[in-house]
Order: sequence, then structure tokens, then C-alpha cells
Amino acid sequence: MTEEMLMKILNILFLLVIPFLMTGIIRKTKAFFGGRKGASVFQPLYDFIKLMKKTSTFSNTTTWIFRFSPLVGLACTIFACLFIPIVGGTTIINIQGGLIIFAYALGLSKFISLLAAMETASSFEGMGASREACFTTIIEPAFFIVIASIMAMCKIYTFDSLALVIQNAGSIGYLIIIFAVLALLIMLLTEGCRVPVDDPATHLELTMIHEVMILDNCSSELALISWSAYMKMFLLASLISNLILPSSLGLGASIAAFLLMMFVISVLVGTIESGIARLRMSHVFEFVFVMSSFALVIASLVAVKMYGV
Amino acid sequence: MENYFIGIAVLICSAIISLFFKNQSTKLKCVSIGAILAACATVSAATKALIVGNQECILHLGSIFQNVRFVLDNLSAFFVIFISIMSTLAIIYSNGYLTPYINKGKDVSAHCIFLAMLMASMLLVVTCQNALLFLIIWELMSLSSFFLVIFEHEKKEVINSGIKYLVYMHVSVIFIILFFVLLSTNAMSLDFMTFKEAIKDNANLANLIFIFGFIGFGIKAGFVPFHNWLPDAHPQAPSHVSAMMSGVMIKTGIYGILRTIQFTSIPKIAVIYAILILTAITALYGIAYATVQKDIKKMLAYSSIENIGIIGIGISIYMLATYFNHPIMALLGLCGSLVHILNHSIFKELLFLSAGSVYVKTHTKDMEVLGGLIKKMPMTALCFIIGGIAICALPPFNGFVSEFLIYLSFIKALAIDNFGVFIAILFAFSALALVGTMAILCFTKTISITFLGLERSEKAQSIETDNPKSMLIPMGLLGSACFVIGLFPQYIFQYALKPASVLIENPQAGETIAFLSSVSKYILILVGLILVITIVKKLISKTPQIYSTWGCGYNKLTSKVQYSAASYVSPFSSILKPLFKRNTDVRKAKGLFPKEAHYEAEFDDIEEVYVINPIIKLDEKFLSKFEKIQNGDIQQYIRVGLIFLAIALIAALILG
Repeated sequence: MTEEMLMKILNILFLLVIPFLMTGIIRKTKAFFGGRKGASVFQPLYDFIKLMKKTSTFSNTTTWIFRFSPLVGLACTIFACLFIPIVGGTTIINIQGGLIIFAYALGLSKFISLLAAMETASSFEGMGASREACFTTIIEPAFFIVIASIMAMCKIYTFDSLALVIQNAGSIGYLIIIFAVLALLIMLLTEGCRVPVDDPATHLELTMIHEVMILDNCSSELALISWSAYMKMFLLASLISNLILPSSLGLGASIAAFLLMMFVISVLVGTIESGIARLRMSHVFEFVFVMSSFALVIASLVAVKMYGV
Repeated sequence: MENYFIGIAVLICSAIISLFFKNQSTKLKCVSIGAILAACATVSAATKALIVGNQECILHLGSIFQNVRFVLDNLSAFFVIFISIMSTLAIIYSNGYLTPYINKGKDVSAHCIFLAMLMASMLLVVTCQNALLFLIIWELMSLSSFFLVIFEHEKKEVINSGIKYLVYMHVSVIFIILFFVLLSTNAMSLDFMTFKEAIKDNANLANLIFIFGFIGFGIKAGFVPFHNWLPDAHPQAPSHVSAMMSGVMIKTGIYGILRTIQFTSIPKIAVIYAILILTAITALYGIAYATVQKDIKKMLAYSSIENIGIIGIGISIYMLATYFNHPIMALLGLCGSLVHILNHSIFKELLFLSAGSVYVKTHTKDMEVLGGLIKKMPMTALCFIIGGIAICALPPFNGFVSEFLIYLSFIKALAIDNFGVFIAILFAFSALALVGTMAILCFTKTISITFLGLERSEKAQSIETDNPKSMLIPMGLLGSACFVIGLFPQYIFQYALKPASVLIENPQAGETIAFLSSVSKYILILVGLILVITIVKKLISKTPQIYSTWGCGYNKLTSKVQYSAASYVSPFSSILKPLFKRNTDVRKAKGLFPKEAHYEAEFDDIEEVYVINPIIKLDEKFLSKFEKIQNGDIQQYIRVGLIFLAIALIAALILG
């Protein structure tokens, strides 16, 4: 019991701090491949603190929605994190249907951020909102198929200990894990707005997605939005790591393994970003649709495993 | 039960009394008071039925009708309660909505009578347990709503969609008549009570009856491919009528389907799968079309189709679970759809009333010319946003509760070891997820184009104040209902258990109620988190500066650079290109100093273009062969009549 409580507290701590470090590591990796020294891995945290101190500026076309949106976004992201396993496979609130609450809480944050973007009456932000909304439409059903088919196979209807069962399912189990990790990685790149879907470092509004949606946010609003965006990436990364890591490690080992996984995923994302260019907007859809096909592959693998079809 | 009949009598009396008033707005007030009193009486009767048990009343109406029973069982009581409350709110709203029409000298006496008649017939139809009288009341409901739809009958498109609606309703009645004929000839009685017993041994017949019932009631409810009347009739009707029709009346179709299941019990497994797929397609089709509409009310009509699809998914999950003998999944599916019936009627009515509130002020339903209304009509905008979040099934509002229940039933279904169920559930799972995300796209579009940003036309600029209280109060009540139900899902689930007990014997719900109470705690955590973050932010932040939106250095923003509704959904509509028939009207800019350019795109329903219209054409071709007989010439008619009489006489002589 005490160990579980400790895990839960650790979960919350990790949830609040690690997202910054992950972004720092991604930037550091990009700097490494670019032949630069790069800023410290704590730079995103310093930026956050700096931005929090500044005075907000709002556009004169906006109303309460625009001011409220970063706050709701942050609350929803933290809330969503409570329903997924983080360190050592522990989920803070472990219930059936946690998947649904998780996805719909993120949906609320997306809903209000789309409204906030459209409220500025800027064509750039409309563009970003329209693209973001469209990608979510493709991603979400695929995500549900992945999780639902794994649940059907394992006969376990919460996120907890899913990984253990798949790992015991023999060779098909490993195949499913590989595809699930790939699918979630695509989701991470899309939802986390990373290359090849979106380039967070670009300076041209026309090619951005998430970055252009928040063009008119500054100071503490911007800080909160970036924090929630980092957190979103973190929670997908921790889903991936929980699929791969065996959940029967001890306390210390599982923390170390989790931290290592976070590090590996960040470096991987950084390497992808350094290695390939952002896709053309029309090709992004194709990339995102790959996740749907992976999801269908997983569903058929599960069908093969269960019914031998 | 007396209270119930007193309520309906009060309602009808108020409609008759309203005729004696000279002032048009007094007529509306009279009917509104009647509706409020009727709602109190019927709700009290229904509540009594829910608590004490079935209430019954038998009328002896003579030979054709046999004995007519009016029964308030749990299912009827559930429907009576929300029909009364929702209709009354819409009627109260009509006071404000019709004022501009009355000021222009429009006569609303007939409208008042039909409002009362629609409400009364909807209330009666869910309690009447005699096949013949049921059909009569059903027809009365369709007719009164038809007359409500054609309120602005001087417009040609209103008459056209009204007639389309009428035709659809009569096709629906054909199937319902077939349904009742098969049932009552087998039972040798018109009484609902006898039906189940009569056909319980004949599975094939029960299947056929189920299919007739599903089609007949499905047309009323608006399942694809029988949905085509909805997107035509709803936009043309006055907003409170659309709200009543979409929020309440189409649910009587669902009531019919639930009764059908009660009579025939569940159909064969192939039919269940077919219905699951059909309802999932209904949901997807509805929301896909809703997303590309630019007419607010047409968008809402398509979104009703989507929600009827979700309700249908719940019902088919219930049937699937009953087939595989999985009581908890059956309960979750059925309760999910019952709660969704209630939720949809709340937020859809809220959305229609808010859209009507916009229409009264701007005289347009085209969102592409609106924008920026949130500053001038803050209450209306807030209500529409609440409705939008609720209909996208996002927490902490009520739509989440019902979809969550349906999702839970899917999760339970994953435990059934059957290949067909696995595939069906995965399909339904991803369909519902896709519907959810498309709803987000659709409603963020509608809200942001209509209410946010800058005004796109003078119509939007000229508004000064929000609407009168008689319109805002019903909207406010509905909005708060969305929030309260969203926060405490366990109570609404317990309420839905009552009607569910008509179809499921001894529902075991203790576990689910406990589970939902914990979900309620989590949703409170979410609301609490939002509140805490808002308060902390308020405390630490300084007074903000106001500046114009970033425009690459240009700071005079005009509404012309804003994203439009069509461009907002264009990445999406290009993915689903084959599904839409795009009608474009393009006038390009010409010459060195172009003055005008124009682009307009409409998305036609492919079902209408490729199925309904060809059928109508064939029909016209066939019927035109009879033009010679029916040409409007009286002499011709007399001649035809004489020939017929002669033939009849000769036949009688020969045969007699």
C-alpha cells in the first residue's frame, strides 16, 4: 500500500517535471546533430518561469474563451494523465473505461483551444485550427482500435498490467507490441506536433499546425499552453514505455527503466527531427493514415490469436 | 392517471380558449400557461407511475376500437416526463421568437392550436396501448407537426419541404400499419398486451414484424437511409418547432422501436448485426454531412441524425447482449441509449433555441455571413457553446454520460468470445470515436464561425442587444440541466433504470451505480482542477494589455481575412470527397480591375441525389401515363365515373 502511494506521488511529480526535460533533451539532440552545443536541457523550464512573470497581452477580437482556454487545456491534460499508467505501470485512477475519460478529457482541451484559435479572427490561426482538428479526426479512431483490440485479447479492461499479458502472449504478442509502439509513436509525433507532421522550430506561419494555433498567445498563457503540449507528449511516451517495459520490476529498477525509456524516446524524436524534413501538408494525411492501418493490423493479429481465423 | 388526463384536457382547453383572444401574443401566452399547467399535471402523474407502479385507464369506445387502454408504465412515464418538460420550454420560448412575426401582422391562432395539438398527441402516443387509436394519434402528431413546419407558408421552399415531410411520414405509416396488422391479426386483438403472447412461438413472423416496425418507426426517428426529411423540414420550421421536432418528436420513433422489441423480443442475430451497422453508419453519415453544412439549422438537423444513430447503437448493443446472454452489457447499452434520448433532447433543444435566437436577430441561418456575435449576444453564445460541448460528448456536460455508458457496454462486449462480436464491437468502437472527433470539428466550426471573431456582414454588425428573457430563460434552464446531469451521472442512470426494467427483467445495477458515483467524483476533480487553476492564475496575473491580432505587421484586421466555414472543414471534406456531391457556383474575377468575384459551395446529400430523386423521377414518369384520365376536365371525370358505374352494375348483375 505504501509503495503504491509512493508510486502515485512519484507519478504526479514526474508528470509535472519530466515533460520539460524531455523537450530539453529533444532540443539537445537536434543541436548535437546540427553540430551545435545547444541550450541546457533545463532551458524549457527556464523559459516557462520567465514567461510566467510577463504581462499578458490579448487581442481585441477575443473574449473570455481565449483567456480561459490555456487554463482548461492545462487542467484537462493533467486530468487525462491521471488515467494512464506512468512509472512502473501504476495508474493513479485505475478504472474500466479510463481510456474513454482520458480521450474525452483531451478532447475538451482540444475543443476549447480550437475555439480560442478561431477567436483571434486571424487567417493563420484558422489554418492551424482546421488542420489540427482534421488530424485528430483521423488519429482518435485508430487509437481506440489499438487499445480495444489489445484489451479484447488480454481480457483486461483497464490500462494496468496490459503490457504484462501481451508480453506473455508469445510471438504474436511481440508482434502486437511492435505495431502498437509504432502506431503510438505516430500519434506522439502528430499530437506532440513534431517533425514530420509539424515543425515546432519553423518561422513560417503557413507551414505550421499547432504553433500557428497559438500565435496570439504570449506570456503566462503561452507558458501554460507549452507546458500542456509537453505533457501530452509525455503521456503518450509513457504509454509507449509501459507497453515495452515488463511491469514486474522492483521499485528502484522500474523508476530507472522508466526514466531511461523517456530519455530514449526523446532522443529518438530528436533524431527523427534531425534526420528527415517536415512532410508536405498533403502528405501529412498519408503519414497519419499509416496509424490507422497499423491499428487494423493489430486488430487482425488479435483476431488471429483469439479465433485462429 | 387522472392527473395525466386533466393535464391533456387543460392543454386542449387552453388552445381553444386562445382562439377567443384578439391579441396575437395573448394567444401564445394562453397556450404557454396551458402547457405549463399540463406539464405539471402530466409530470406528477408520470412520477407517481415511476414510484408506485403502472397506472392504467380503460375506455370503452365501442366495436371498432374494442377496449382502449391508456397505460403509464415505466417506459411511457419516462417519455411523458421529458416530452412535457421539453415541449413546454419550447412553447414558452415561442413567445419571444414569434414577436417579430406578430409585429409584422402575422396571425398565430392556427400555430397556437397546432403547438398544443403536437404536445398533446406526443403525450398520448406514448401511453396509448391500442393499435388503432395509436395510429390515429400518430397521424395527428405527424399532421400537427406538418402544419407547424409550414408556418412561413408564403415561401415556396417551406411548402416544398413540408410536403416532403408529409410524404415521408406517410411512407412510415404504411409500414407501421403493416406492423400492427400483422400483430393484431395474430393476436386477434388490438390491445398491446396481447401481442407478445401471440407471436412468441413464431420466430420468422416475429422477425418480419420487427423489420416492419424498425423501418416504420425508423423513418420517424431518421435512420439512414430514411433520414432525408430531417435536413429539409428542420431548417424551414420556426426554431421552437424544430426544437420540439428534433428534441422530442423523433424520439417517439425510438419509443416505437423499443415497444417493437418488447412485442417481438430480439430478432435474429443477422438482423441485429445489420441494425448495428446501419445505426453506426447513420451516426457517421449524419455527422459527416453536419460538418460541411453552412446553414446552422441544417447542420443541427444532420447532427440529430448522428445522435439518433448513437441511440440506435446503444439499442443494438442491448439486443446483441441479450442474444449472448450478457445482462450487464445489455443494461449498459439500453440505459446508455435511454440516457442519450434524454440528453439529446436537452442539448439539441438548447442548440435549436440558440440558433433561433440568432435567426431572430440576424434573419439569416447562413453562418458564413455571421461572426462576432459573442460580444453582442453573450447569453445566446454561452448557451450554444454549452450545447456544443455537450453534444460532442465532452466532460463535464451531459453528452459524456450517455456515450460513456455506451462505451462501457462495448468494453463489456469485448469479453464475449465470438469472432463476429469482436469485429462488430471494434467497428462500433471506432465509429463512435470517429463520430466524437468529427462532432468536435463540426461544432468548433459552427461556434467559431457564428459567434467568434469579427462580424462578416452588416447583418451581424447591426445587432445591439441579446434577446428577451422569455427566450433566454428556457435556454438557461436547458444549459444548466446539461451541466448538472454531466456532474452527477449516477442519478440519471438510476432514473433510466426504470424504463429499462420494461425490457430487462430485474436489472442488476448496483455495481454500475457505484461505479458511476466514482466517475462523478472524477468529473468533479476535473471541474475542481479547472477552478483551482483559474483562481491561481487570476491571483498571480497582472492587468493584461489589449492589442490587435497578429497580422504579419499589419494591424488593421478585417473580417475578409478570417477563415470561413468552408475553408475550416476543407482538409476534412477533401478526405471524404466521394461522399459528398459538391455544387459550386463560381464567378471568377475578370479584367484588369476586377470588381466582383463569387464562390459558393453546397453539399448535396448523395442519398437524395442518387436514390430519392431517381425514384421520384420514375414515379413521375409512371404517373404521367394517367394524365389523360386526370386532366382537370370535369366532363372527363363524369364520363369516367359513368363508365365505372356501368361496369360495376354489369359486374354486379353477372356475379350476383
